[in-house]
Amino acid sequence: MALNKAQKEMLENTPFVEFLGLEALTSDEGFSCRLCFREQHIGNPLLRTFHGGILASFAEITAALYLMESLNLVEEPLCSSMTFDYLRPAFAGTIRAEPCIVRAGRRFVVVSVDVYLDKTLVSIGRFIYSR
Amino acid sequence: MSDRYLTMAKTFFGTSHPLFNAFGVEVEEVGKGRAAMSLSCRPALCDRHGGLHRGVVVTLLDTNCGLAIFSRLGDMRPIATIDLRVDFIRPVPAGEGIYSEVECYAVRGDIAYVRGQGCAYSDHNLLATVFGSFAVGTLGPAFDSAMKGEGKV
Repeated sequence: MALNKAQKEMLENTPFVEFLGLEALTSDEGFSCRLCFREQHIGNPLLRTFHGGILASFAEITAALYLMESLNLVEEPLCSSMTFDYLRPAFAGTIRAEPCIVRAGRRFVVVSVDVYLDKTLVSIGRFIYSR
Repeated sequence: MSDRYLTMAKTFFGTSHPLFNAFGVEVEEVGKGRAAMSLSCRPALCDRHGGLHRGVVVTLLDTNCGLAIFSRLGDMRPIATIDLRVDFIRPVPAGEGIYSEVECYAVRGDIAYVRGQGCAYSDHNLLATVFGSFAVGTLGPAFDSAMKGEGKV
């Protein structure tokens, strides 16, 4: 599997994606994204953890990219709402986001994203997109 | 809340913090469990339409929640987000800054509850709303301990 044209365009033309340093990974096991820690991701400077907003952004962009592939969208979908559960501190390292479509309805699509630090689940997000 | 507290918050949320510095986060007001922050549009933080990315909105709101809680507690004990809900009412217009306001409306046991919103800086059009809960007194030293030690406050 390779990235499609719409996904590539979104990755290349979104400055904030570059700021984050998000990488999309495609393999036979499915679509996921990776983010290596940078100083500008820091939330708690004393513990050196990822900022909650950075984790949520990373998961949301992963969800949007995954939808573009799964539903063959040419445009980036609009996220109308997100809920995010922080399960454990995400210490500086490399995190991975694995998306899953919970339901793709006629008007709304619900995507859940699991975020892992190494093999530990650190947070879960749910994102609602209108189509 | 005293001027001393605003100074402390500005120090912590100021340029010495790599993320807040990169985002250009400004503390507008702090006191009585409420806080307001802002950031202006920076090209590196935008979506493909030239407006601040949704992720930046979430990051500002999450940060603002933290400051509102510090204000309610009266100190900067370590806190951590338990959960956060953000509704995106409309995208940030191209070139526009964001003004956010959050209230910590309750603390029960080790949990602090917050609600707030982000608006367009120039016309106060509503962009996003936030609800969340935070764990109080989590892992690690207090955020103000380092600053007190350095004699900044």
